[in-house]
Amino acid sequence: MEAELYLIRLLHVISGIMWIGILWYFNFVQIPSMPKIPDEQKPAIGKVIAPEALFWFRWGAFFTVFFGLALAWRSGYLMDAMMLNEALIGIGMWLGLIMAFNVWFVIWPAQKIALGIVEADAALKPTMARRAMLFSRTNTMLSIPMLASMISVQNPVM
Amino acid sequence: MGKILESLPLTIVAGVILTVVMIFGADAIQNSQMTAPEAPASEAMNSM
Repeated sequence: MEAELYLIRLLHVISGIMWIGILWYFNFVQIPSMPKIPDEQKPAIGKVIAPEALFWFRWGAFFTVFFGLALAWRSGYLMDAMMLNEALIGIGMWLGLIMAFNVWFVIWPAQKIALGIVEADAALKPTMARRAMLFSRTNTMLSIPMLASMISVQNPVM
Repeated sequence: MGKILESLPLTIVAGVILTVVMIFGADAIQNSQMTAPEAPASEAMNSM
């Protein structure tokens, strides 16, 4: 049991670092740097780096949630957390679920249009790029309380 | 909200404020869920 929990927690943390690391790369590095990149070099980001980063980003989000729920279930506090009987970790889990929903159902669909991965009206691209950016920023904002909640399990705050 | 999210520094400040609100909010939720007989026992345990 201890070894199983250790392995699930390790996979949860590895997936989480993949997810939040790329989220912060987008928000702290790529988005602020785009205006400084010459137009002829922008396809390197839009056509090569961003699609690859988005692959690891969305699957990182999926497996973070998957292993996180598995960890809570096998540790015996899944329902207590979801019902906020264990309030702090419960709020963090809900924040993580909201963020993962944003990744899969808002950011990824919008980025597919903005980056030209799927066929769409060219006029839609700026709108979708802005939508993806705002939801990515929302996730950056939520990542701070979410991470604070996650570490509270082993390091109680109050 | 859009103005805050367009600015990375303001996004971070908002995240930190949310964190503080969450910590105190979670503490309040936890305390409100204690039934009357449990509360003193829990407080006693916290002071041990």
